[in-house]
Amino acid sequence: MNPGGKKDSPQNPQQQQTDVTRRRFFTLMGLGIGWGGFAAALGGSGVGALRYMFPNVLYEPPTVFKIGKPDDYGIGVDNKLKKERQIWVVRNERGIYVMVAICRHLGCTPNWFDDQKKFRCPCHGSIYDVAGNVVGGPAPRTLWRAALSIDPVDGQIVVNFTQRQDPDPKGTEEGLMVDEKSREVPPFFLEV
Amino acid sequence: MNKLLDQIRENVTQTQVWKSIFRHGYPNTDANRALVMFSNVILHLHPVRVRRGALKIKFTWCLGGLTFFFFVLLAVTGVFLMFYYVPDTRRAYNDIKDLGTVIYFGSLFRALHRWSAHAMVFSVWMHMTRVFLTGSYKPPREFNWVVGVILLVVTLVMSWTGYLLPWDQLALWAVTVGSKMAEATPLVGNAGPFGPELGMTINNDVAFVLLGGTVVGQSALLRFYVLHCLGLPLVMALFMAVHFWRIRKDGFSGPL
Repeated sequence: MNPGGKKDSPQNPQQQQTDVTRRRFFTLMGLGIGWGGFAAALGGSGVGALRYMFPNVLYEPPTVFKIGKPDDYGIGVDNKLKKERQIWVVRNERGIYVMVAICRHLGCTPNWFDDQKKFRCPCHGSIYDVAGNVVGGPAPRTLWRAALSIDPVDGQIVVNFTQRQDPDPKGTEEGLMVDEKSREVPPFFLEV
Repeated sequence: MNKLLDQIRENVTQTQVWKSIFRHGYPNTDANRALVMFSNVILHLHPVRVRRGALKIKFTWCLGGLTFFFFVLLAVTGVFLMFYYVPDTRRAYNDIKDLGTVIYFGSLFRALHRWSAHAMVFSVWMHMTRVFLTGSYKPPREFNWVVGVILLVVTLVMSWTGYLLPWDQLALWAVTVGSKMAEATPLVGNAGPFGPELGMTINNDVAFVLLGGTVVGQSALLRFYVLHCLGLPLVMALFMAVHFWRIRKDGFSGPL
């Protein structure tokens, strides 16, 4: 850019200050604007295409749903919503809780055996008691309980399938246990 | 400043990754300019020797290249549409509605696909008109003209199969009309000349195979979808490869 070896010449102080000529400066600026614009267009369409891949509407079963009134459920484990909603509704002397029918080992659906009072998973043999504590098999944590509330208008139980209780269990002789009192708190328990 | 830029350029262009992609230097010498043409797959589509007259924009109007550009654009946008569209008679129309209303850039991709399809049909016709008017179909290029006619037909069938996919009234009746025309095909259609004599009925002729039934229903939608997204694009790519190869071998005809 500096013909004639004038670069280090003391007679040419202006050349000494910078080694970028005006022509070079505008060339670089033009290249910067051109390629910058190209990169921006490419990046913009890339971001647009990426955003396109995240759907705004899902055709999946609702995650918040009503399951009827508290009086519809008697003492014990109610199995009837397992297929449709993937939950068990459990009532004890104190109230109602909703257990998510997903095994904590690898996500299969366990079965409720009323004679043994146990949930048993057919895939790898995890066993849970009626509170969801792990009493056998490879499951590393206790069953989830879903949040529930009462709809003030029609008095039905509203289940939020995605809001889940997941306490850290204690390893004991019987298995991985969680203190039942600490679990029976709103919004995961309905006193009735 | 200059030294820094030179250093950056050095560091980028001397890497193995760069050298494995760009197998020539910056095209500022004759040798490198030639290498760019020989080793670049995009620029290599053109013949090595091109007559001066054929380089004029007014000779080809870039119509073949435009058609190819629309094809690539259609392939890319079509893949994007496939992520949301299900060829199910109960879903298809709603999926198209979703693309237009709730999916980010969905209407952009659909509009690009739709308008590119129209533009491609138009540019194919213009391309063939140009080839006809400049006499470029004459020997030794008569083989490529035949390939081009096949590509034209495949383009039209692509357009037609894609027309059914939105599953609206327009689509349904357009394809109903089209399949009635197929029924009137000589020899292989049940309503065509010599069709009935050869034993063609509504459930064994060419329209029956095309629709997978006797009416435009679920099987027709699925068949058109498979043809539109898989079968015809593959056929088209194959013939395009032959088409481009012949262009390279035969060269441009040059003005009359």
